[in-house]
Amino acid sequence: MSGGPAVQISIESSAEKQIQEVGLDGSETYVQPLSMSQNLARLAQRIDFGQDSDEEENGERSLPRENDWGDQDEEEGLVKFQPSLWPWDSVRNHLRGTLTEMCVLHDVLTLVKDKRYMHLDPVSQESIAPKQSQHGLLLVSKRKSLFSAAQILLKGGERLSKSVAENQENKRQRDFNSELLRLRQHWKLRKLGDKILGDLSYRSAGSLFPHQGTFEVIKNTDIDLDKKIPEDYCPLDVQIPSDLEGSAYLKVSIQKQSSDIGDLGTVNLFKRPLPKTKPGTPHWQSKLEAAQNVLLCKEIFAQLSREAVQIKSQIPHIVVKNQIISQPFPGLQLSISFCHSTNDKKSQKSSSDKMNPEDHLYVLEHNLHQLIREFHKQTLSNIVMPHPASAPFGHKRMRLAGPQAFDRNEINTMQQSEGLLEKIIKQAKHIFLRSRTARTIDSLASRIEDPQIQAHWSSINDVYESSVKVLITSQGYEQICKSIQLQLNIGVDQIRVVHRDGRVITLSHQEQELQDFLLSQMSQHQVLAVQQLAKVMGWHVLSFSNHVGLGPVESIGNASSITVASPNGDYTVSVRNGPESGSKVMVQFPRCQSKEVPKSDVLQDNKWTHLRGPFKEVQWNKMEGRNFVYKMELLMAALTPC
Amino acid sequence: MEAPPVTTMPVSGGTINMMEYLLQGSILDQGLEGLLHRLRGLCDNMEPETFADHESVYLLKGQQASPFVLRARRPLDRPGAPWHLRYLGQPEAGDRSRHALVRNCVDIATSEVLPEFLQEMGFRMDHEFIAKGHLFRKGVMKIAVYKVFRVLVAGTAEGAEPLSLSYLVELSVVAPAGQDSVADEVRSFAEQLRPLVQLEKIDPKRLM
Repeated sequence: MSGGPAVQISIESSAEKQIQEVGLDGSETYVQPLSMSQNLARLAQRIDFGQDSDEEENGERSLPRENDWGDQDEEEGLVKFQPSLWPWDSVRNHLRGTLTEMCVLHDVLTLVKDKRYMHLDPVSQESIAPKQSQHGLLLVSKRKSLFSAAQILLKGGERLSKSVAENQENKRQRDFNSELLRLRQHWKLRKLGDKILGDLSYRSAGSLFPHQGTFEVIKNTDIDLDKKIPEDYCPLDVQIPSDLEGSAYLKVSIQKQSSDIGDLGTVNLFKRPLPKTKPGTPHWQSKLEAAQNVLLCKEIFAQLSREAVQIKSQIPHIVVKNQIISQPFPGLQLSISFCHSTNDKKSQKSSSDKMNPEDHLYVLEHNLHQLIREFHKQTLSNIVMPHPASAPFGHKRMRLAGPQAFDRNEINTMQQSEGLLEKIIKQAKHIFLRSRTARTIDSLASRIEDPQIQAHWSSINDVYESSVKVLITSQGYEQICKSIQLQLNIGVDQIRVVHRDGRVITLSHQEQELQDFLLSQMSQHQVLAVQQLAKVMGWHVLSFSNHVGLGPVESIGNASSITVASPNGDYTVSVRNGPESGSKVMVQFPRCQSKEVPKSDVLQDNKWTHLRGPFKEVQWNKMEGRNFVYKMELLMAALTPC
Repeated sequence: MEAPPVTTMPVSGGTINMMEYLLQGSILDQGLEGLLHRLRGLCDNMEPETFADHESVYLLKGQQASPFVLRARRPLDRPGAPWHLRYLGQPEAGDRSRHALVRNCVDIATSEVLPEFLQEMGFRMDHEFIAKGHLFRKGVMKIAVYKVFRVLVAGTAEGAEPLSLSYLVELSVVAPAGQDSVADEVRSFAEQLRPLVQLEKIDPKRLM
C-alpha cells in the first residue's frame, strides 16, 4: 500500500436532504433542511388543541365564558389536520386539563363569592358510638356462623333424602318389573320401540273383529314424593284405548210391540254398579278385563247388526243406533241393545231410573256371549293345515267337493251356518213360548179348581227345547184317576203334545190353542174319572164316548159322555161333560120306582117292572161333595143297594 | 293325435285372479331346530304339522318355445286327501320395489286319477321329488320348511334320498291380484326370521 497514490473517497450520507428536483443534466436540487425553530413551529402546527373526545368540552362550551377561549379558537382554526398523530400530546393534554381545572376553580370561586346561587354551611358530623358498632359486629358474626352451620345441615339432609328417594325408586323399579311379569302371565305383550304394548283382542282365540285392541303399559314410578302414596298404588299402569273405556253390556229384552217407534235406538244406560275388584287382583287386571268385555260386546253387536242387515226375513230386522229390533212373533218385539257407559258422571246421572229389572233376559245375554265364543272356536278349528302342503288354506271338506263330485245339497250343508242373530232369535222365541206356556198352565190351574192341573217342568233343557209334564187329576182320587198325562215339548215355534197313549198333537205358538186343548182335556178327564170310579165301585160301564155327536155343539172340542149301571142293574147313571157346557148327570130309575110313569094296561106282568124307567137330571150343584168325582161317588153309593 | 293348442297366457282361477307372494331361503340341517323353535313362537297358536308330499312336474310342449308346466302333488302321509294340481305363472317382471316374488297361481284339488288324465291330455312327466318337512301358519301366511328328496324309483316314495344337507324355507301367501300390502306383510315377517334364515326373492329362471 505504500507505493500507490492515495485515492480520495468522499463519503456522503444518502438522501440526507430531501431531493426537491432532478434536472435534465442529472443535477439534483435539494430542499434546505429546516432550522431548529422552523422544525418546532412545524410540529406545533400539527397539534390540535381544540379537538378532544371528552364530553365536558360541550358542557364547557355551553357555559358563558367566551373570554377564556379567545386564543384557543384561533388555534382551533389552525389545527384541523392530523388528529391521530400527537407529537406533543402529553403536553397538550396537561395544558388542557389544567385549563379545565382552572375554569372550574374560577366558577366555584365565583359561586362562593357571589352567594347568589349557593350558600355553604359546615356539615355537623355525628360520631357513631363505638359500643353499638361492637354489638352489630357480634350479631353479624353470629349470623354468619349460624348460617354456615345451617348450610351444612341442609346439605346433609338433602343427601339423605336423595338416597332415600333413590332407594324407593329402585324398589319401585323392582316392583314394576315384578308387576310386568305378572301382567305377562295373563296378557300378551310385545315391545315396540320404547313402548310396551299389549293385546286385548280375542284374535288369538279366533275372533275376526278388526278392532286393534291394543293397550299400552305405563311405568308409574315417578310420583310425587311429598304426597302420601295412595293405598292402591301400583307401579304399573295400563292405558286402554278411549273407545274401550268404561263398562258395557248387551241388553236383550222382549216387549209387547209398542205402537210408537219414535224412541227407537235411544236405549238409555242405567247405572250398574261396577264390579268390585277381588282383593288381591291388581287394578290393571280389572281394568283390562273391563276393556276386554267392552271389546267383546262391541264385536257381538257388530256381528249381530251385520247379520240383521244381511238376513232376509219376512219382517225385516231394524238396526237403529245401538239397538237391533226384531219380531219373533207377531205383536212381539225382541230388542238387543248395546249399552256402553263411560266413567264420567254425567252420562250416569242422565240415565233413566225407570228400568224394570225383569225385562232383561239375562239368559239370552249370557247365551250371546257363549255363542260368540263358539263362533270364535269354530273359526279356529276350521283352520286346518292343508295336505299336500302346497294346497291353499281352507275347509278340508270343501277341497274334497271337487274330486268327490259333491252335489249341490252336500255343498249347501257345508256352507250353511246359522248366524248369531238367527240363533238368538230362535232362543228368544223358545224362551218366550216357554214362559207363556207356563203362564197359561198356571192361570188355568188357579182359575179351575176341579179338576186339578199339575205341571212338572223338567229341569234339564236345551236352548231350543224344553218339556213339561201336565197331569190332570181330581183331589183325593189321584190314585185312581191317572187317565190324563200329557207331555208338552216346547220348541221354537210350536208345542208338541204327546199323549199317554202315544197320540201326538202339534200346537202352534198361539196361546189360545194350548188353553183350548187343556180345557177339552180337563172335560174328558171328568168322564174318564167316572169310568175309573165305576170300576172301583163295581158298576158296569154301558157306554163311553170321548166325542159325543149329539147334543149342543161345543165351541171348544167335543163333549164326552159315559153311562154306567149299578151292580144289580136297577139304576143307570149317564154323564155328559163338555168343556163349555159343563157336566150334566142323569139318573135312570127302575120302572117300578117311578111314580110318573102311568100304569100301562099292556104291561101287566110283574116282570115288566124291571124295565127301565125315565131319566131324571140330578141337580148337580146342590149335591154335596167338594168335587165332581166325590159327588159322583156319593151318588153311586146312594144308588147301590146295601 | 294332435296336441291341443297350448297357451301361455295367465290362467285365471275361477273369477278371481289369484297371486302367490313368495319368499324363499335355505337353512342348514344344524339350524333347523332353532328355526322351528322361532317359528313356533311367531306363528299362530297351533300345533305345527309335518308333511310328506310327492310332487310330479308335468310339461306340455306346444308350438311355443316355453312349455306349459303343471305340478301335481299328493300327500304321502294322509291317505284319502285329495291330490293337488297347481299352475304357477312366470314371476312378474320388473317392479323392484315389491318385496316378494309375485306370480300367478291356480290351485285345484283333484282325485287320484290325475296322472293318467294329464298323460292322456298329452302332458309328460318332467321330474318328480319328495318334500318332507314342517308347516306353519301365521294369518294368511304359510311357512313351509322342508327337505327335498330325490326319487330313485319313479312314482314311488321308497328309497328316496335327500338332495342336500339343508332345508328349503318358503314363505308364501295366496291372495287376489292387486293386494300388494300382502308383500309388505311377508317382508316384515321375513325380517323377524332374518337372524336365522335370509328369505329372498329367488327367480328360478335365473338359476337355470
